[in-house]
Amino acid sequence: MSSLHTLSRRSLMLAGCAVSVAAVASSARAATAQSQGRKLVVVMLRGAMDGLAALPKLDDANIRDYRASLIDPNARALSDGFALHSAMPTLASFYGAGQAAFMPALAGPYRERSHFEAQDLLECGGVRTVSADGWLNRALQKAPGAYSAVSIGPAQPLIMRGASQAISSWSPAVLPEASDDTLNRLMELYENDAVLKPALLAALGADRVAGGMDQASMGGARSGPAQYVPLLTAAGKFLAQPDGPEIAFVSLEGWDTHAGQNAALNQRFQALDSGLRALKETMGEAWSKTALVAVSEFGRTARVNGAQGTDHGTAGLGILAGGAIKGGRIFGDWPTLKPAALFENRDLAPTLETRSVFKGLLRDHLGWSAADLDSSVFPDSAAAKAMSGAV
Amino acid sequence: MSQLEGAIAATRFGIGAKPGEIAVASSDPRGWLKAQIRPDAAIVSGAGLKSIGESIRDQQDAYRGVSGPAGKPDKPGKPDGPDKDDLARMEIRKQAQKDAREGLVVEVQARGRHAATTADPFAERWARFWANHFTVAARNAQLIAVVGPFEREAIRPHVFGDFAGLLGHATFHPGMLMYLDANRSIGPSTEAARRRDAGLNENLAREILELHTLGVGSGYTQADIIEFAKALTGWTVGGPQIQRLAVAAAKGDGRKQRAAKDMIAELRDQAGETLFVPPLHEPGARTVLGKSYGAQPRTQAAAILDDLARHPATARHIAAKLARHFVADQPPASAIATLETAFTRSHGDLSVLARAVVDLDEAWVETPAKFKTPEELLVSVARASGAEAAFGRDQRTVYQTLGQQPFGAPSPAGWADDTATWSGADAIKKRLEWANAVSRRMTRVGTPVDFLDRALGPAASQRTRLAVSRAESAEQGYTLALMSPEFQRR
Repeated sequence: MSSLHTLSRRSLMLAGCAVSVAAVASSARAATAQSQGRKLVVVMLRGAMDGLAALPKLDDANIRDYRASLIDPNARALSDGFALHSAMPTLASFYGAGQAAFMPALAGPYRERSHFEAQDLLECGGVRTVSADGWLNRALQKAPGAYSAVSIGPAQPLIMRGASQAISSWSPAVLPEASDDTLNRLMELYENDAVLKPALLAALGADRVAGGMDQASMGGARSGPAQYVPLLTAAGKFLAQPDGPEIAFVSLEGWDTHAGQNAALNQRFQALDSGLRALKETMGEAWSKTALVAVSEFGRTARVNGAQGTDHGTAGLGILAGGAIKGGRIFGDWPTLKPAALFENRDLAPTLETRSVFKGLLRDHLGWSAADLDSSVFPDSAAAKAMSGAV
Repeated sequence: MSQLEGAIAATRFGIGAKPGEIAVASSDPRGWLKAQIRPDAAIVSGAGLKSIGESIRDQQDAYRGVSGPAGKPDKPGKPDGPDKDDLARMEIRKQAQKDAREGLVVEVQARGRHAATTADPFAERWARFWANHFTVAARNAQLIAVVGPFEREAIRPHVFGDFAGLLGHATFHPGMLMYLDANRSIGPSTEAARRRDAGLNENLAREILELHTLGVGSGYTQADIIEFAKALTGWTVGGPQIQRLAVAAAKGDGRKQRAAKDMIAELRDQAGETLFVPPLHEPGARTVLGKSYGAQPRTQAAAILDDLARHPATARHIAAKLARHFVADQPPASAIATLETAFTRSHGDLSVLARAVVDLDEAWVETPAKFKTPEELLVSVARASGAEAAFGRDQRTVYQTLGQQPFGAPSPAGWADDTATWSGADAIKKRLEWANAVSRRMTRVGTPVDFLDRALGPAASQRTRLAVSRAESAEQGYTLALMSPEFQRR
């Protein structure tokens, strides 16, 4: 790697791509051929979104007994008795145009109520034990082409960790950049460093693609709803590049609404809705071949708690959006909110499994083989059959 | 003893070497660390730091005359726009929020200054470990006023006492009661719940079991959480909100009205303090983890906490977390077992546990296994440079850039303690950008090679030494030193 000493920033970045297969540039042609320009956006709504507030089933006989004060009086009727919170007009119009669908009783195989364990399991794709690698990383190892992925946000999420290095991460820059010469020397210093070397190489590759988006142009705070629009915009920019990655992962934090949830959720729904609109606009033509799936680690209690909030529950709402989605419909049965139908007499019971949804999208949208999905991407998951018909 | 062990003591057990510290530690590294295990070693004090009561009362005073909860925007304006009163209220609210943010800046600066200068750096690491274990974060406008006092009052004075004591101080501090919504949790069968259409909130009970004591997957059930949450009802924070609840409760029982009047006056006087308010407590005996706790309202929750503190699962959970912090992301089972035994045999005596950590042979290996968090990185630069150059003018901005805002942990689980979380491509890029910017200020405090000697001593590799000494400028030398594999780890 001593030849790096004389390389310019540009060639250093290309070297980085080749070595790490951060691959934003070098493997692009092969990737495009295999994926035919299709894109997948995986969004994690961290903190457990209250799906019953986002998409109340207004004709359910029990919903008003449990949570009348948490139902948006202006929710917009969609179909099958479901209505969408009025803070999400874009998503409602997607639904009307057949570009969005909902999964109102979705959950992973996990049945406890710890955020952290549930998020870890959702990201690693496991049932009980948390593995050190994530399912998106394992998926890349079995990809049907030279696919790559980008993670938007400052920390490396579990879903992306693992042996595949076809991954980059990015968040807005706020400080001046180091010189090419400093980068070259640092690369030498990292020659034998298994953590810092791949991280720096991948960072240099990602920076080139994001080109010119700094934090000032993306507005303000680094976490919470204020970041939903900039993060989804950044994801769109990456994916829309002609040689961009096939998959983007975005974490949107701040959904744990134990108290006073109407105001908090109103703000978050608005931000999410604006983020989806921004993603569509940023992606331009590529939107027509895009599938987005947004999920939480679990749902929230059917009943309002003592503080006008809700506590940790079980089944929650999954959202599908994008030009590739066969939308305008509901996936999964409605289990009802009858006391006997509730899980442990408190939570909406699941009728659809998150792994089935992820597997369906990987298989039908991006071409993974069912065998790889059942065995290595989601180990021992044959029983959680890939969901058909989403794209 | 070797200089290398002195360097390990100062960087891995401490929070980064100050000038001369490696030499001091080298004469007796373990003794130097153990001498820091004193009850007062992690106390932070300073001008402008308020007690929890003062802090909350000041915030409430600042909002006086403004209806509605703090920090929430006004209702949408009437058709003809806001009137004079609306504007006055908005002004008060803006000023109150500004005051609260300034209070937080004072806290962050005091904490940063303490870390940069303390002669008890192991005690500081130990205190920060426990502050992260019992995370209370500034999630909203109200909490901004409590996070600093919480760490100074509920954590720092108790980190070398026994675990049960620390658990009790943390649980019943207004900061924790507010952060995990226990201040609004009301016994579901009480008159107060009926009249106010309010009830139980399980958040605090759940996180105590999952994060603070037994650990996830250790066998407790949803029923345990609910029973424990009921036992915790009644414990709340004095202030107008609780006064209103107590008034509601008193309406239900004519005989108790006089007593209620006295209580309401007391609630007003004790705004911002932890209180036990009997009418809000769920009456009756409780069963948690198969054990029954009698109907003694005031002592019920504390009795459960005491048993949780002594539970074998708690010893295992704490031992594993400490081993991860001081040894490696995946610590050897032997290290966990040693600490678990120390915890159990001493009945959770944290000074005994701290000594056991120092005596853990697995933590003294030459190659540093732990990747520094942004906070550890900044504190270690501040100490080695003999100045607060690392922070620049605004510490909070730097921390925010690197992804670890003080008092800003993303969830009650606190900050992650592993390499993978902090070493993503983007995180490394941010560190490099920061190092590049800070290296310009560092040139005023000596040469980059001196910096390496002070900060790492013999722990700096030949490769790093050579790269830093051959740098084309002092700025570049500092950037390389700060970003070197050894300085990024501990």
